[in-house]
Amino acid sequence: MRSMSPALRGDVITGLAVTLIGVVYYIATFWIQETNNIVTPRTFPAIVGIALIVLGVFLVGQALYRGRKLAEAAPSAADSATGRAVGSGGEDGSASGGASAVVLEAPEDPPSKKVVLQFVLFFVYLAILIPIGFLLSTTAFLMTMTSIYAPHRWIRNLIFSVLFALVVYVAFVYGLAVYLPVGILG
Amino acid sequence: MDTLIDLGGGFASALEPLSLAFALLGVLLGTVVGVLPGIGPISAIAILIPVSFGMEPVHGLILLCGIYYGSMYGGSITATLIKTPGEVASAVTAIEGYEMARQGRGKAALATAAIGSFLAGTLAIIGLTFLSPVLVKLANVFGATEYFLLMATALLLASTMSSGSRAKALISIFIGLAVGLVGLDFQTGLPRQTFGLNLLSDGIDFTIFAMALFAIPEAIRNLALGRGAKEEIQSFGEDKWMTKQDWQRSTMPWARGSVLGFIIGILPGVGPSLASFMSYIMEKRISKRKDEFGHGAIEGVAGPEAANNAGVGGAMIPLFSLGIPGSATTALLLFVFTMYGLQPGPLIFRDDSGLIWTIIASMYIGNVALIILNLPLVGVFVKLLKMPKEILFSSILVLVVIGAYAIEFSLFGLMMLGIFGVIGYLMEKGGIPLAPSILALVLVPLLEDNFRRMLQISGGSFMPLLTRPVSLSIIVLMILGIVGPIIFRWWVRRRQLLADVSME
Repeated sequence: MRSMSPALRGDVITGLAVTLIGVVYYIATFWIQETNNIVTPRTFPAIVGIALIVLGVFLVGQALYRGRKLAEAAPSAADSATGRAVGSGGEDGSASGGASAVVLEAPEDPPSKKVVLQFVLFFVYLAILIPIGFLLSTTAFLMTMTSIYAPHRWIRNLIFSVLFALVVYVAFVYGLAVYLPVGILG
Repeated sequence: MDTLIDLGGGFASALEPLSLAFALLGVLLGTVVGVLPGIGPISAIAILIPVSFGMEPVHGLILLCGIYYGSMYGGSITATLIKTPGEVASAVTAIEGYEMARQGRGKAALATAAIGSFLAGTLAIIGLTFLSPVLVKLANVFGATEYFLLMATALLLASTMSSGSRAKALISIFIGLAVGLVGLDFQTGLPRQTFGLNLLSDGIDFTIFAMALFAIPEAIRNLALGRGAKEEIQSFGEDKWMTKQDWQRSTMPWARGSVLGFIIGILPGVGPSLASFMSYIMEKRISKRKDEFGHGAIEGVAGPEAANNAGVGGAMIPLFSLGIPGSATTALLLFVFTMYGLQPGPLIFRDDSGLIWTIIASMYIGNVALIILNLPLVGVFVKLLKMPKEILFSSILVLVVIGAYAIEFSLFGLMMLGIFGVIGYLMEKGGIPLAPSILALVLVPLLEDNFRRMLQISGGSFMPLLTRPVSLSIIVLMILGIVGPIIFRWWVRRRQLLADVSME
């Protein structure tokens, strides 16, 4: 483990997580009522649970094996082996590595603390949207997000937050008849 | 002949002012969203699905198909000018196109991309027009066995055709299947995998899952990166459009890309991204100017962009005529069809033939609109690249929240969005591709239903897979499809080795 490259260590963690999910998923299938059909309601979920376990274990094993092989051979040039494809929004999230003609740059990883903070703020927004209402909660959310990023431009941030919330509200409620929560303004 | 009459009817209604307006709006909206850094076609469609709620089915579908085309072209602009591909399919454009832009040939790169996309897109739709009715006829002999087999093939190909770790692509597929199985079993009505939560008995909404996976991780990642990650935007004030030499060098790659993209696009489970990569590799192999690749070779933009767009048309064929999506993006479109209560497949050509032909006709129109609008307006779209990231990505978060609210009207729906956003982020961090799971989620009900019917008819035997001629043919093709690429790779590597040896 000590000499393992970050990419391979990541694979071990990912593999363990997938295995765990598979185990939980498989155990959950015990609560599905059995029927006497040929393919019962349990068949597919059970296959999926087992497949996740197998794939997770395989990923861990593969990473450990590669780690050992790399430790024996040259310790450099390891990370490129498991480089990941370009960010999200991919057409198939995959790219034919094919004939090693194309090298994709892995996207930069932001610091975990900041990611957690962004997610926490996002969840707060999700939680207050219905009780507080769309206009107020959205303005507050946008103001917070933009100001963390660019605190010195708070006037622009404020104008943007208020305007965006208003325009979107009007567009959805009056244009598309999607009624957004009014909350305490209602 | 019937096909032409049907298509004529389609054009008649696609040219109605309102349909035409939605086609143009879709292309424009798609380009605008596609230009935004980090937003590819699949995110664009996922974010914009809520806009189509409450629309007439035909208008909603015309709009979303236009968005699909537009966002692909928008993605090429972003790839060329700031080297940020919004989708894997334009990743190669980000290599050659960006290099061209750095040398002051950005306009030529965008022009060859646009013209190539138009030509390839149109050729692919012609293929779609004439091949779909044939496939529909063929589909009449398809039973549960064949459908099950085709869907299993789609999933298998989606994982084997990916780069990086195949195990991870398979994990992505099984995550999609796992999510798709949550809820009441449609055959027996028994709850499955709900962990005792009644709220989960309706299952997990597809749009929420797609939005959570394709918009939230990207938005959060960019917001968390903060300042300093500023891209350099290549400008092109005084550049020339394509020169005579550019035209000459682009023509063959366009043609090759169109054919390659179309064929790859038809394969179930293989989307246009593979088409653009294959085209890039092919152009590089046969080029006389190999050394220019990686330093702004126009062939490396023309071919892949054509292949990419031909692939879209190709991918629509199994979607329309069999109801089987070939890629994550067409899986989203399949979902939109079912949202309107329509089931693509042989029956739609019989029962809703007016609608399906209108959509096909609108694709021709969308392709024309794309080239008329986009080349002159490229200067306007480029301004979008300068949009501050914090504004862009926080707005996207708000839009997906509205989308999720408009689907469930509940706190539960909103929380699902957040939770799957976290899951999507972790998947990306672990290097698990997101798109295969979307495909799996869409396919799981069909897959299970056909699997059950197959075994019910045969009394539990798997023999029909081998004894039915059509299914046996599919198995043979499937084996060729899986073994083929391996041989291709081996062949390429061997040639590379031989080339290296002869150099020494």
